[in-house]
Amino acid sequence: MAAVSSAFEELADQYPVALREYCRGGGEAALLRAYQIGRHAVAAGVGVLEMAAVHEEALVALLLDMIALEETARLAKRASEFFAECMAPFELTRRGYQEAHAALRDMTQGLERRLNAALQDFESAQDELLEQKRMEKQKNDFISLISHEVRTPLTSIHGALNLLKSGLGGELNPQGQRLLDAAYRNSQRLVRLVNDLLDLQRIESGTMTFHLRPVDVRSLLEQAVEASQAHAGQLGIKIVLQSAPAGARVRVDGDRMMQVMTNLLSNAAKFSPPEETVVVDAFRRNGIVRVEVTDRGPGVPADFHGRIFQRFAQAASSDRGGSGLGLSITKALVEHMSGHVGFESEPGRTTFYFDLPEWRRTVSREKAAENTWSAGR
Amino acid sequence: MVGRSLKRILLVEDDPDIQTITSMALGSFGGFTVHVCGSAAEAIQAAAEFRPDLILLDVMMPGMDGVDTLRALREIPETVSTPVIFLTARVQPADVAKYKELDSLAVIRKPFEPTALVETIHEIWTRHRGEVH
Repeated sequence: MAAVSSAFEELADQYPVALREYCRGGGEAALLRAYQIGRHAVAAGVGVLEMAAVHEEALVALLLDMIALEETARLAKRASEFFAECMAPFELTRRGYQEAHAALRDMTQGLERRLNAALQDFESAQDELLEQKRMEKQKNDFISLISHEVRTPLTSIHGALNLLKSGLGGELNPQGQRLLDAAYRNSQRLVRLVNDLLDLQRIESGTMTFHLRPVDVRSLLEQAVEASQAHAGQLGIKIVLQSAPAGARVRVDGDRMMQVMTNLLSNAAKFSPPEETVVVDAFRRNGIVRVEVTDRGPGVPADFHGRIFQRFAQAASSDRGGSGLGLSITKALVEHMSGHVGFESEPGRTTFYFDLPEWRRTVSREKAAENTWSAGR
Repeated sequence: MVGRSLKRILLVEDDPDIQTITSMALGSFGGFTVHVCGSAAEAIQAAAEFRPDLILLDVMMPGMDGVDTLRALREIPETVSTPVIFLTARVQPADVAKYKELDSLAVIRKPFEPTALVETIHEIWTRHRGEVH
């Protein structure tokens, strides 16, 4: 009995592999393997019914891997050939012959039932997927529409405030100036929100394009720091590029990378106490380039750590005028460029960082010149 | 058109408030002569006489949209090769690709900072002149 059981286990292991090999285009050798499996089964005392059960199991597993209908039909035909070859040794005895036919009939019926059930499951999963896609499309269309519809009035509001602030409408008294500053600041916030919403929708719907090319990390950071310096200066914050590895390059979309750095730097400046310095640092580590942005702010509250990269996430203690989308966009952008984002925080010191694989392929001088990164969107 | 300096701008924009703000910024900070049109029909009518150096073109307009307006302007001898910048809220990648195909110089996304508009236009203009020469 123990010998039969061990032979059955061996059969259950070997049969699916051999069947798969034959169905995937195996020739005479694979078919010979079927005959050998059958002979081995007869010798070990494995019954036809057990053989049929093993075959059914292996075939269903194989068919469920198939997607194209024509492939399924072809495969089912090949599987029958394989099983018939396995049955040949059983037919050498009268009892075996009868059993083989009965087993084939039962197996065909069982197979039909199981395949129908599997097909139904597949269809309902497909319906569910289609419904999900429809909802997703509706959401994207809605965000897109809202974003466009909001942009037109916002262009007027923001534009008018921008012109007033430039002094085009004459000088205001201090109270008027404070009111104008507040209105302008908040219209900027709205502009950011609308832009961020659209960016997020593009990332999620896969319509955001990434033009990846090797970029020099140091020059990228220098430009990012320079671009954010003015905004930080208004808050009394200085941004310093402490170090960056010479010659290190990463394969990224320059504009998207600038967006990532702008987000991190503006966040760091926003949370820094006045007169403090935000430090940017970059270094190589095991084929990775890590870029860190460190501020001297109050730190990320512990209960917010798990949600910090989620959409519209802002700590309860924070009222700094963000859209609540910046970090989730940053994370999505970096991940689209094969990177990883993280942070470490304690009171008085928070570091946001991202890791990107270092680009090491040697390129010609001409190509390198082409890759000079240009700022601006 | 090559070698011509940038003085006359045709602004095609249906929203009256954006017309005011944009033309004010272009006039006050850039010293440009600006002709404002509220629709494609107006622009097509005015183009030949005004002979702009540059056209700033909105996309979402009632009636003929910006894309078709550009095609129509290309049929007019005076604007057959006048540089065009789209000034629009429609900046999905597919839209931007379409504007590029239409041989526009650039796209400026709404909302924009009017105080920075002149500088942006000058940058685009200078780059374009460099490419032409």
